[in-house]
Amino acid sequence: MAEEVKKAPRPVDPNSAKYKLGKIAADAFADAIEAKKKGIPVAWVSSNFPVEIPETLGIATVYPENQAAGIAARGAGERMCNVAEAEGYSNDICAYARISLAYAKLKSCPEQDVAMPDVVLCCNNICNCMIKWYENLAQELNIPMIMLDIPFNPDYDVSDAQVQYVSAQFWDAVHQLEQLFGLKWDDDKFEEVTGFSCRASRAWLAATGCAKYVPSPFNGFDLLNHMAVMVTARGKECSGDAMETLYKEYMENHKNGTSTFRTEEKYRILFEGIACWPYLRATSTGLKSRGINMVTTIYADAFGYDYDSFEGMIKAYCSVPNAINLEKSRDKRIKLCQDNHVEGMLIHTNRSCKLWSGFMYEMGRQVGKACDIPVASFDGDQADPRNFSEAQYDTRVQGLMEIMEANKEQKGAN
Amino acid sequence: MTVNELFAKLHEVPADPKAQMDRYLAEGKKIVLCAPVYTPEEIIHAMGFVPMGAWGADTELRRAKEYCPAFLCSIVQSILELGINGMYDGASAIVIPSLCDTLKTLGENWKYAVPSIPFIPMTYPQNRKPAYGVAFTKAGYERVIRDLEKLGGTFSDEKLAASNAVYNRHNAAMRKLEQVLAKHPEVTACQRSDAFKSAFFLTKEEHTALIEELTAALEQQTPGTEKTPILLSGILADAPAFNAILDEMGLHIVADDVAAQSRQYQTDVPESGDALTALAEKFANMDNCSVLYNAAKPRVKWIVDTAKARGAKGVLVALTKFCDPEEFDYVMIKKACESAGIPITVVEIDRQMVQFEQARTNIETFRDMLNM
Repeated sequence: MAEEVKKAPRPVDPNSAKYKLGKIAADAFADAIEAKKKGIPVAWVSSNFPVEIPETLGIATVYPENQAAGIAARGAGERMCNVAEAEGYSNDICAYARISLAYAKLKSCPEQDVAMPDVVLCCNNICNCMIKWYENLAQELNIPMIMLDIPFNPDYDVSDAQVQYVSAQFWDAVHQLEQLFGLKWDDDKFEEVTGFSCRASRAWLAATGCAKYVPSPFNGFDLLNHMAVMVTARGKECSGDAMETLYKEYMENHKNGTSTFRTEEKYRILFEGIACWPYLRATSTGLKSRGINMVTTIYADAFGYDYDSFEGMIKAYCSVPNAINLEKSRDKRIKLCQDNHVEGMLIHTNRSCKLWSGFMYEMGRQVGKACDIPVASFDGDQADPRNFSEAQYDTRVQGLMEIMEANKEQKGAN
Repeated sequence: MTVNELFAKLHEVPADPKAQMDRYLAEGKKIVLCAPVYTPEEIIHAMGFVPMGAWGADTELRRAKEYCPAFLCSIVQSILELGINGMYDGASAIVIPSLCDTLKTLGENWKYAVPSIPFIPMTYPQNRKPAYGVAFTKAGYERVIRDLEKLGGTFSDEKLAASNAVYNRHNAAMRKLEQVLAKHPEVTACQRSDAFKSAFFLTKEEHTALIEELTAALEQQTPGTEKTPILLSGILADAPAFNAILDEMGLHIVADDVAAQSRQYQTDVPESGDALTALAEKFANMDNCSVLYNAAKPRVKWIVDTAKARGAKGVLVALTKFCDPEEFDYVMIKKACESAGIPITVVEIDRQMVQFEQARTNIETFRDMLNM
């Protein structure tokens, strides 16, 4: 019997964006574990909480959503969900929350260990499910919870009342943390952190914006990995440097006619929704094998916080994808489709995310109509592998591809 | 009227809300639909409209599926279904607070699914207790007022003060009724449900009068033999088949933590200051609810304490399928009840249920356990 010859992993250039970004993402978990040993307070933080607060105060951070995605991608989503369900949590609850609550109970998961928190920092601009999840974490772990409430905005623009409300909470959260851990707010440090955050955000937006080139200089699935840095470390100096390297590499790819999408790019789509972490390979292969590149996703915008004033920062946090109304959400997608020459839209109807999926049918119809592109959807889940069917995914992607193909032929004929 | 006549009257209204709505429309009244939860009815009332509850109905979902994935709760889906099917035709607007994720999506879908009935959003703060939270609640109310003015309503602080008083009186009447019902096991779960549900479809003045009369009549009536006392928790518990099971099993609801029943009547509008600020302070003072943030989760303790105080032998959680705020709280309620030695069970319900056999088996086992 022939022995399987394993390929040695290709060495990664330490000056490459991939190396730098991978190291930042991995260090984020390790740094918090080290900080905990030194007695530095550790916070578990919602992904869209203003990182400027813990970064300025010197609080170490862990992002449970990022941890849950990692656990799910490494195949332990179902095992952890089962632990939460045995506690009484319904399997209808967000799988990230179930994984995180399971971790709070077990305090261990070899697929991604993290430092245990001294406080939880919750922001509901992504969903109100986050409030319930963090309330229960705070109760179970007997630690304080800081709540920064950014309500869903039913209007197109952010109102003055909302800016005032969120600004007041921002400073209230700062004062609560100062008192809890004997810390002192430093305006100079805050300015430095906002500078880092904006620099990383600008570079991230520029890099993801390279999808405007045809063919795209990158495989959109790259964004799902690199996004981790924007979630966990956008307020750190090293992130700006790494993101600028990423942008530079994408521009070089464009100039050289190369791409990290290592096959012919026949079709370009917008992928809507959180990734199916347990099935990254299946979802990626299903596209790549057909020459479909997911050139863009709302993630490109979701973690790009560029602002030039305190009010601008507050408005940016009030305008993240899940906090805005259908019309604003739709227009953001339409712009992504137009800027990036998108030919189809693939929607992940994510069982874990009621808010993201709840008006997606109507929004998908409106985006499809405005951009004159086909729209297909599939059922899945961001972390619970039981809610995805590879066969259904394949059929839907095939259907989408056939319409894109027919559209191309029609265009060619005209 | 006798107790039974009053219950019959309270049954008629929720049995056919459309007929009640048409009666008001025929009288020239304007109706504003109030989606769950904590819609500022006082403002709607003060501006000359009849606030009418829109909590959906036990109905098959067809058209709503064009907008909603299957994992959204059936309360929200059925509100949309009724809207699309014309059951709310004639209403001037719908006010939808966005206190849970699914309610956020209801408003967005409503604009396109039911364009004939304007959507008015009510955005509440979760940090509602500090002064900045009260100010934001007030800004949300002012937004509702502006939208209602466009529909011909007129606002004044004096009128709102009068409406606040009407609603406080109704709150008091409902709280008193709830206390009296705890002492009258002969009142069925179905009748109890009607008493609460009818509040959504009658003006508060009419409903208060009926409830005060009912409470007085019940106080004159000799209580029946005690059955098995329980505390009922959940968002909604109005399905006739569900209540019939409770009656069949001899369960007596001696207290409830149901959002569509007593939970909404716990807090009054304070009588200080201007009426709009006072109404915002009412919201600030509210608690004990799965969609109102409180890291201390006082609702959990409230359930345990109330079950003990009312002599409930157990807690029955009627969990609306896909309601994640309730699903998260359930685990903490379960743990607290178990540590306090109070038996607890959960029954999943939704507005599309036609088969209640699983619920029946579960409730029957629970009843047997309580009576062991």
